[in-house]
Amino acid sequence: MAQFSATLANLINHFAKLPGIGQKSAERLAYHVLRVNKAEALALADAIRDVRENLHYCQQCYFLSEQDLCEICRDPQRDPALLCIVEQPRDVIALEQAGAYRGLYHVLLGRIAPLEGIGPENLTINALIQRVQKGEVREVIMATNPTVEGDGTALHIANALADFPVQVTRLARGITTGSILEYTNREILADALTGRQKF
Amino acid sequence: MAAEKSLAIVVRMVEFSETSLVVSLFTRDFGKIGALAKGARRPKSAFEGALDLLSVCRVVFLHKSTDALDLLTEAKLVRRFRAGARDLTRLYAGYYVAELLDELTHPGDPHPDLYDAAEQALAELDGAGSVTAVALRFEMTALRILGHMPSLSECVGCGKPVEAVGRVAFGMLEGGVLCPDCRPGKRQVVSISAEGVKTLQGFADATTEAWRGQTVHPKIWGELRGVLNHYLANLLGKKPKLHEFLGTLAE
Repeated sequence: MAQFSATLANLINHFAKLPGIGQKSAERLAYHVLRVNKAEALALADAIRDVRENLHYCQQCYFLSEQDLCEICRDPQRDPALLCIVEQPRDVIALEQAGAYRGLYHVLLGRIAPLEGIGPENLTINALIQRVQKGEVREVIMATNPTVEGDGTALHIANALADFPVQVTRLARGITTGSILEYTNREILADALTGRQKF
Repeated sequence: MAAEKSLAIVVRMVEFSETSLVVSLFTRDFGKIGALAKGARRPKSAFEGALDLLSVCRVVFLHKSTDALDLLTEAKLVRRFRAGARDLTRLYAGYYVAELLDELTHPGDPHPDLYDAAEQALAELDGAGSVTAVALRFEMTALRILGHMPSLSECVGCGKPVEAVGRVAFGMLEGGVLCPDCRPGKRQVVSISAEGVKTLQGFADATTEAWRGQTVHPKIWGELRGVLNHYLANLLGKKPKLHEFLGTLAE
């Protein structure tokens, strides 16, 4: 029975390790790499090498950066007294796209998930405490995902920061602007009632 | 492929793709199932945010006859576990209930009474129930229903009654108390105080809710946690992940 050459099989195996890519998709991607012109294929290889060699975590906030400090941490227009805690770098992108926040961030690089064996020591919580210890931060905004694990992570951090003179807040939850109350799910309504604000 | 309906507790969730999840559900009528929830991570999915750890949901799923994952088509939230936002010990005890359901049961092996006990334990942990007492009661209930209950009043070696006086030998590998005649030569034997044995008997008794009013000295809690942690680790062949997080439970 005919088999893939060793080099092609190697490429297929590497593609098959990517999330959401099975054996068939990996073969299709490998054939695509063979079909396109050589410059385009090598550009893909260079892009992968560049991202691994040049991109790393910001030394202060753990967002992705090509320098020691990321663009956000270097920006003098940002308010260093405001610190927003998120689980993943992609959460920073989402909040930045909202365009309503001018403070700094701290990326945890995960969440406390004991059932998956992930504890506080696997996240960047110690680095966060060291940042707060420096005394410049006035408010810490918990922007972890509104899930059981996200809430647990936020509570762990809030407990760890209890002895510091910082205000700990969390993102509001509730009804989406433009939606209709009658069709809103009861959990969202309960959250909205719990987190109601002064008019 | 028939559509099945059941109440279910979400015991595990793994991201499958940008928008989908693979969930482990402990259902009341079908036992543990693994199911693919397509689009569950989209804001406007058919699951309406019902799929979160420890949530109780009313689910509809397409049962696959092969080893493939079932397909979850609907999940309506019955009750969300909210203690995680206010008390870490309650949260970790809730995770522990999920871990025991996941580790002690086999796929497709229904235990409606275990489901009811788990739902009740989660509701009490989410409310004001004593975390140590609720966790111990659930452990004993799960062990009894699944046939792993250690013998607490008769010797596991010879079947003679063992009186809870002074200190009593408990064989981890044998699975219960040992009389003085049977103890010699046994490996992994610990000794428990008579009060500890009586407390365990109280929490194991399915016919009464007297455990709710039982006053237990912190030292006895510590002793019982040590014994049960060891016993469960032996039973599962590994240390449950949550034992590390529940270290302060006995205090």
